[in-house]
Amino acid sequence: MEERPSLIAPVATAIVVVAAWWFLVPLLGINPRYLPSLSTVVADGLSIRSDLVAGFWRTFVETALGFLVGSLIGFAVGVVFAYIPILERAFLPILVAAQTIPVIAFGAIVVIWFGNTILAKVVIAFYLSFFPVTVATIRGLETVDRDRENLMRSFGASGRQIFLKLALPTALPLIMVGLKIGVSFSLAGAIVGEFFGDTVGLGVLLIQALYFEQVPRIWVLIVACAILGTIPYALLVLVERRWVWWRAE
Amino acid sequence: MPAEGLLALRNVWKRFHSGGTETVALHDVDFVIEPGQFVTLIGPSGCGKSTLFNIIAGLEEPDGDGSVLFQGQPQRHRDLLGKVSFMPQKDLLFPWRTVLDNAALALEIEGMPRKAARQKAAALFPEFGLQGFEKHYPRQLSGGMRQRVALMRTFLFERELLLLDEPFGALDALTRSMMQRWLLEIWARHRRTVLFITHDIDEAIFLGDRVIVMSARPGTVRCDERVDLPRPRSGEVMLTPQFLDVKRRLLAIVEEESRKTFSASA
Ligand SMILES: Nc1ncnc2c1ncn2[C@@H]1O[C@H](COP(=O)(O)OP(=O)(O)OP(=O)(O)O)[C@@H](O)[C@H]1O
Ligand SMILES: [Mg+2]
Repeated sequence: MEERPSLIAPVATAIVVVAAWWFLVPLLGINPRYLPSLSTVVADGLSIRSDLVAGFWRTFVETALGFLVGSLIGFAVGVVFAYIPILERAFLPILVAAQTIPVIAFGAIVVIWFGNTILAKVVIAFYLSFFPVTVATIRGLETVDRDRENLMRSFGASGRQIFLKLALPTALPLIMVGLKIGVSFSLAGAIVGEFFGDTVGLGVLLIQALYFEQVPRIWVLIVACAILGTIPYALLVLVERRWVWWRAE
Repeated sequence: MPAEGLLALRNVWKRFHSGGTETVALHDVDFVIEPGQFVTLIGPSGCGKSTLFNIIAGLEEPDGDGSVLFQGQPQRHRDLLGKVSFMPQKDLLFPWRTVLDNAALALEIEGMPRKAARQKAAALFPEFGLQGFEKHYPRQLSGGMRQRVALMRTFLFERELLLLDEPFGALDALTRSMMQRWLLEIWARHRRTVLFITHDIDEAIFLGDRVIVMSARPGTVRCDERVDLPRPRSGEVMLTPQFLDVKRRLLAIVEEESRKTFSASA
């Protein structure tokens, strides 16, 4: 439906940035402590490629699991809150307050509860990702047009039909926004979870690189995290283009 | 058919309460609609026409003092949901549905399988001048086409009584008169009972067997005029003395009521 935005502009920008980083940075004599050239970074990345791949995969699994559970529960909670306002009034403020707890403090508690397991990271990722989805679902369902709802009722529609044929499609564009925020938060949650200690994961490698001041290594991990964050986000954008292209009128 | 016609309103009142103030939208509305009639309803803006339709569609409950009878049966709140085909003032198409699926909405709600519903809707496309637009989305259509899709959706919900709330209100004069003639043709072929809201006196007389004029708010029936112009009607009919005679009489009343609306709000 939507006009497909061309990929040329972003790809060209990426090429320019990569080229500048690769060639211009050493040419200008920038201190590698601040910004090592891309060739150094790539070489460093290749030197730890098996750790990197394992860490990437591990962090990806944590992010994906946390996000899947978070978005499902976030959606369900949003639907319940939207249809039972008394519950929203009773519990949403608590959730908002809970969201203001710094993730470091929250993470510490979770690690104490669940130990240094993958479960602890998934729980932190879940905790950060479900809230934006909940809020987006509530707001999306609130925008359902009363007139359209009345039209469906005049055709004798049941509550279930109104939900499936009207409320859900109306809310989906906003829910997609919530999902895109949620997936980014989920990655942040997984990485912070790994800071508390583990043996595999991008967050683990990052903490080690910081500790030993391995500047190129830090950059390797920054790039790896950026790629890891972009993949699920891009998938969501594709889903949106294909299936959720409409906007509220 | 019972003595009460297809639809009878008896002393219907509707008061809205919001923020401590009471708005009387309708007061003592009383009329009977016979099966097969095309009745047009005209009245100043805000006089309660849409409210009246909401009541007849079962979406809004009239106050306790009056009653609504459908096929002779008194109707309580929500009884009428699913019994009349209702076309609201706005087209209210669903942007994520194709034109075909928009038209088939009511059929789907009635439980018809999607494929059968689409087939049935598709059969009406030529008659509604929408052939070739089945796969389009609403935003790709002109205002007149959107209105026809909404009308088709209402038609496909096959009920004895059709409620059309200003279906042509947003159209330009030329499209509007085309649509009026076209609606009469469709009506002649399908013979359903129609209650049609409009702001336009010519439209009211041209289409109706009967014109009901509503008073300024609080709305009530101010006058109920038979229109005995022969059918089928063409545009020429608007130039006949008989038409002009009815128009002159209605115009005086409508203008008087509209003036009341203005001086009340001033
Ligand atoms: N839900 C509501 N709550 C309070 N007041 C309402 C409500 N619905 C309608 N009204 C009031 O009732 C009156 C009649 O409204 P209605 O929409 O029926 O008018 P109308 O005749 O259809 O007007 P128009 O020709 O402009 O469409 C208006 O004064 C309106 O403000
Ligand atoms: Mg109205």
